[in-house]
Amino acid sequence: MSVEVEVNENDLAEMVEQVWESYLDPEGISPLIPTYDENQPSEVHSSVSITGSWTGHIVYASSTSAARRAAAAFLAMEMDEVSEEDLSDVLGELANIVGGNVKAMLPPGALLSLPQVVLAPETTARFPHSERISGVYGVWDGEPVSISMWQSRGDNKEGAE
Amino acid sequence: MRAMVIDDSRAMRMILKRIVSKLDFEALEAGDGREALDLLATLDEVPELALIDWNMPNMNGLEFVTNVRADPRLREMTLVMVTTESEQSQIVRALAAGAHEYVIKPFTEGAMIEKLALLGLVPTGANS
Amino acid sequence: MTLSQAEFAFVSQLVRREASIVLAPGKEYLVEARLIPVARAVGAPNVSEFLAELQRRPNPQNQRKIIDALTTNETSWFRDREPFSALTDVILPELVKSRTATRKVRIWSAASSSGQEAYSLAILLQENLPPGWSYEIMGTDISTEMVKRAETGEYSQVEVNRGLPAQQLVQYFERAGAHWRISQQLRRNVSFKLMNLTAPFPAMQPFDVIFLRNVLIYFDVATKRNVLQNMSKVLRPDGWLFLGAAETTIGIDDNYERVAAGRTSAYRARTGAPAGAARRV
Ligand SMILES: C[S@@+](CC[C@H](N)C(=O)[O-])C[C@H]1O[C@@H](n2cnc3c(N)ncnc32)[C@H](O)[C@@H]1O
Repeated sequence: MSVEVEVNENDLAEMVEQVWESYLDPEGISPLIPTYDENQPSEVHSSVSITGSWTGHIVYASSTSAARRAAAAFLAMEMDEVSEEDLSDVLGELANIVGGNVKAMLPPGALLSLPQVVLAPETTARFPHSERISGVYGVWDGEPVSISMWQSRGDNKEGAE
Repeated sequence: MRAMVIDDSRAMRMILKRIVSKLDFEALEAGDGREALDLLATLDEVPELALIDWNMPNMNGLEFVTNVRADPRLREMTLVMVTTESEQSQIVRALAAGAHEYVIKPFTEGAMIEKLALLGLVPTGANS
Repeated sequence: MTLSQAEFAFVSQLVRREASIVLAPGKEYLVEARLIPVARAVGAPNVSEFLAELQRRPNPQNQRKIIDALTTNETSWFRDREPFSALTDVILPELVKSRTATRKVRIWSAASSSGQEAYSLAILLQENLPPGWSYEIMGTDISTEMVKRAETGEYSQVEVNRGLPAQQLVQYFERAGAHWRISQQLRRNVSFKLMNLTAPFPAMQPFDVIFLRNVLIYFDVATKRNVLQNMSKVLRPDGWLFLGAAETTIGIDDNYERVAAGRTSAYRARTGAPAGAARRV
């Protein structure tokens, strides 16, 4: 009795690839290399929530160093110039971009929240009552980065047949 | 020429500012639609271009477009939505409200410049 | 770790022989970067091992993969815009006068890559031909992967951002998951085939317009001349040839003359062509 999720791992991987191509690796020289390791560590993460025809979260998590590197690439600055504010902004926008694209693939009537950024590791405890349904796990220049999709349990019945 | 960059993400505003500056636009920034309208009210000359996010607090991009289109003083401004909203129906809505073009995030710098070229806002030769 | 000179020479010879593509020396780094995913996909430990194995035991399938990986497939919707405006403003009005018997326009997108050029032409004809007219567009490419992609007619978000007006995106595409799929209305007028432009051409019906853009640059002069000569046999005597912005027939094949077409230029057969609206530049 839950809405079928129409976003699979390949879709997620493709979106991630497009984010890399657009902002993080426009030259195409350092892609995110898949590790398929769901349990790889993270030090910071950002998320957006989706509610409505599907309810859950999209989470971007990485090491601090990978986040710094993402911010530097995004903002065209050196890694040591990146402030904590830059880091949060960029992490938030990355979750927002992936989340927005996921939302567009869900049945109509889904709403996207503003991004939340937490400069602490992603843990299951932060997304209570939800389970991970797909994810892209990889290393970027040796540092862990993941993008995962969490579906809320129980409270996603609206619109279900 | 001047371009207004309207997005609640400072990081995204920086990316957009960088691109329009390359095309010799002077960039003005606003964090949401309300702020953008307030800023426009103080300007003697209307900017040629606005790059507009959709989801923003206070006033969203679609409302901003609707407001601009209702104001004869702002008629000449070219409006480009730059957003993750990518359902077909959303694009149709934005165009119907009066947006001239639509760029889906994520976008490459080249793609943004090509879109602005479609609108005649890029001096020829700048996009190759 | 970059390719050794011998490895680079092996790859250059291969793509030169099979696709007439000239790899400039100094591109070792690029070649290696492009071949890493290929080597990985076939399960070779690294590019050197992959090439060594291929030298020991030639394998057409893996050779194909190398050619696919090394050809540049860069393309976009309505690329460079001017040739498309010329088609709408100058060429179609002329064809509509001269093709009244068949009421049909045939266009070839030679080296069509992932199909954006061919479908851009379809959009344009769909919107600009008078009622009762039909059109046929053929796209060809040497890359099996590109031909397959073009046939599928599905494009990523990043791809539809590139040069395609939003109005036409919503009108001629529909969302298919993470992608956008070209509408059936356009799809049915466009076909794609595998074809090496530097090999003898198969039998083909002549075309009114040929787009041969951003591919001659990869060939040496003799190959360019050969391709242009073959093209002239399938271009109607009053037809039009468009080349890429950095390409020309001048100094290569004198049977064409450059003519103004809107704000850009195109090429037409020098002899036997009625002057029409064409003006020499
Ligand atoms: C840069 S793309 C050009 C695409 C399109 N015509 C445009 O201008 O946007 C070049 C294409 O030429 C193809 N190509 C290279 N050598 C070829 C050959 N010998 N015969 C046919 N196609 C070839 C490549 O596979 C690639 O898709």
